[in-house]
Amino acid sequence: MRKRLTLASVLSSMLMITFTLLTIIPLTWMILSAFKPHAMIVRTPLAFPMSWYVDNFILSWTQGHLGIYFINSTIYSFVATFLTVFFALSSGYALSKFSYKSSRVISMVYTLGLLITVHSVIVPLFIMETKLGISNTRIGVILPYIAFGLPFQVFLATTYIKGIPDAMQESAIIDGATFFQVFFKILIPVATPIISTMFIYTFLGNWNEFILVLTLTSDLSVRSLPVGINSFAGGMSRDYGLQFAALVIGTVPMILFYLVFKDKIAQGFAAGALKE
Amino acid sequence: MTFSQQKRMSYYAFLAPGLLLFASIIIFPVAYSLTLSFTSFGGYGTPKFIGLANYAKIISDEVFLHSLRNNLLIVAISVFGQIPLGFLLAYLLHRKMVRNGNFYQTMIFLPITISPVVVALLWNQIFSSSGMVVAIIRRLTGENQYVMRIFEDKQLAIVPILFVLLWMHTGTYMIIFYANLQKMTPSLLEAAQIDGASESQMMMRIILPSMVGTIATTAIFAISGSLKAFDLIYAMTGGGPAHYTEVIAIYMYINTFKYYKYGFGSAASMIIVLLAVGLILLLQYISRKFERRFE
Repeated sequence: MRKRLTLASVLSSMLMITFTLLTIIPLTWMILSAFKPHAMIVRTPLAFPMSWYVDNFILSWTQGHLGIYFINSTIYSFVATFLTVFFALSSGYALSKFSYKSSRVISMVYTLGLLITVHSVIVPLFIMETKLGISNTRIGVILPYIAFGLPFQVFLATTYIKGIPDAMQESAIIDGATFFQVFFKILIPVATPIISTMFIYTFLGNWNEFILVLTLTSDLSVRSLPVGINSFAGGMSRDYGLQFAALVIGTVPMILFYLVFKDKIAQGFAAGALKE
Repeated sequence: MTFSQQKRMSYYAFLAPGLLLFASIIIFPVAYSLTLSFTSFGGYGTPKFIGLANYAKIISDEVFLHSLRNNLLIVAISVFGQIPLGFLLAYLLHRKMVRNGNFYQTMIFLPITISPVVVALLWNQIFSSSGMVVAIIRRLTGENQYVMRIFEDKQLAIVPILFVLLWMHTGTYMIIFYANLQKMTPSLLEAAQIDGASESQMMMRIILPSMVGTIATTAIFAISGSLKAFDLIYAMTGGGPAHYTEVIAIYMYINTFKYYKYGFGSAASMIIVLLAVGLILLLQYISRKFERRFE
């Protein structure tokens, strides 16, 4: 019995190590390659960099306009995430604590929204935005980000707020507080744990979003980091060193973000599949 | 203003911003897209109604059928690859079969933070003729001229993409299952252990039955996620070479934004929605059968 358990644990460890190496090796290779000039990447792909060649980073940052993309990604992610979470919370409050008949229908509509993909609206969205004159603007990117973030975030907010005891808000209302005061002064402070999960989960999705920016914008000045990095793949640069540097620039901040907020990200993913 | 009026006003005010955005950016465009899919609209002029012609043309298009096949392979690798592997990893972590479980968990879940575009370009480099995989194979076999030909094969070109998808998403399922396993009451397993149940009996009789719901939910995620697959493939191969790695979302994108066939593209995107709904209904039917069997 003991022996068999050891065998099982050896096999388990091997599996875990395999998967871990599958993460570590490609990323390490990417980071090391980013410090090698193009010729060396092509000639000796497995070699360790002979010196820390940082020109790749400088060139890819300037030639690839990564600075402006970085700023745009930051604006999109923060603004859209903040508004998504805020609107989702207010909707969640309305849907869980007001007990009107329409709540049920609206919740169902949001749930159906989970099934709708960006692709099924991209054509009309493009036509609409062109007609309204907001394609190629930051607003034209932020609004769809919010709309697509909402269904899942409304679901998270509603579920969480439902669990907050009614007594808290009822006594405040009896004391003469308005519903807005209850929302801002009682609900939001109480809901902080779910708010941070919602924020971090939504932020991650917005930061990595690709197809909306790709189709709704064409000006370099409003495009985001994923679209900018993608342009390194095409004809723009045959210099692998620059490409690797761009990949590192796109990856490292996210890895740090992940290491800090891993539990919150995990919670966001797990919450969607928890059985009520 | 009476109290009940104030209450109703507040209710609508709380809902308004979200609903307004949701209705104008998702509900209205979906209806619009559905309408466009019955027309030959090409970006200018008034859309001309052509009934189901777009749909008929799509389902008899060989490129579409190959895309559909690729999409179904992606669904298959998610449902039969990522989910079971994710479950196995979560189970091993939950049962504390390995030391340093937390470290492994962190590492295996990590790819989720990396943008699919970055993942795509990274793996393209890894598979390229100056990449890591080729270099390792050359070193191991001593064949200095070895190059990977898999992308040139119509049937197999999708395989490296399937592998990368597995790499990206297995950790996500592991995390989902891990969270759900931890919600199980430990007393049930302890009691079974005391009664002398073996590891495999506990798995089949206790753990799996209680996870059917979660497995079904994750499978829904997997299916809708698989049919949406775009970013990674678009950045990795763009659907090429010669449409070998195309999926429906890319088929739709190319027809819409390269050939300006808006009506045709809309029909393709409607097919994605229909497929997703169909597969999910099928899945719910199957999981209901399973739940009954375990009861």
